[in-house]
Amino acid sequence: MLRLAGRFTRYEIAGESMLPTLRPGDWVIVDGRAWAHHEPREGEIVLARDPRQPERALVKRIRAREPAGDLWLLGDNARRSTDSRTLGAFPPEALLGRVRWRYWPPPGAAFPTLDERETAAEAP
Amino acid sequence: MHLLSTLLRPRRLAEAHCDGPCGIYDPASARIAAEAVLSMAQKIVALGDADDAATNNTRSRFTAIKEEQAEQAKRELNILWTDYFNPERTANHPDLWQTFWNAAKLCSRNKTELSVEAGEELLATIEEIHNVFWATKGRDDVPFYLAV
Repeated sequence: MLRLAGRFTRYEIAGESMLPTLRPGDWVIVDGRAWAHHEPREGEIVLARDPRQPERALVKRIRAREPAGDLWLLGDNARRSTDSRTLGAFPPEALLGRVRWRYWPPPGAAFPTLDERETAAEAP
Repeated sequence: MHLLSTLLRPRRLAEAHCDGPCGIYDPASARIAAEAVLSMAQKIVALGDADDAATNNTRSRFTAIKEEQAEQAKRELNILWTDYFNPERTANHPDLWQTFWNAAKLCSRNKTELSVEAGEELLATIEEIHNVFWATKGRDDVPFYLAV
């Protein structure tokens, strides 16, 4: 149980670069030992150290693996994301874990659709 | 429910981060502000020592604009330095911090002093930054031009 407690960490999502997959305010569980048995794969949503500010954790999706093993990380919301397009490829050591589950809001909970969110954000 | 949410609430942030919604940077915005500073300094000098009410009014207005634009240039430079440049982009330009530092100091000097020379120096420093900026993008087709 203690081992599990060290493996999984709760994170709150901030920012919009992973919309529509992850919304700001979502609570997720990150698996710090996701790659004990396999290499990071394309399509996985990961937590990575910001190369400019190592204490900061970025959440992005692996979109490509370079031959040397470096990873090309992009936000799902390309228009609102700072990612490998400006930061370059991330070395595998920069990965902190893989986002495994969203535990809040619970599945099926009522939350505004994306369209509603945008309208709400634009209202004066 | 409150206890539950306290227990469940994450203590760490995962940033789905975006530096700016656009990612558009261009030293041109600092250059325009610096040109306005220089132009105002020249115009204030051209007013000479006349001390009539109309000239005093004009001098005050020009000075206000000069100071505001110097502040603006400093802000634009700071955005470039803190948002666009990063260790990777400065790797080939180890002295760039000093160029930005000089530029920021020149903005302050232009704000507090009346000096055409300080305005020209600021513009020249921004041209250096322009050259490095476009070099980091692999672009050699962007000329440094002036509005005047």
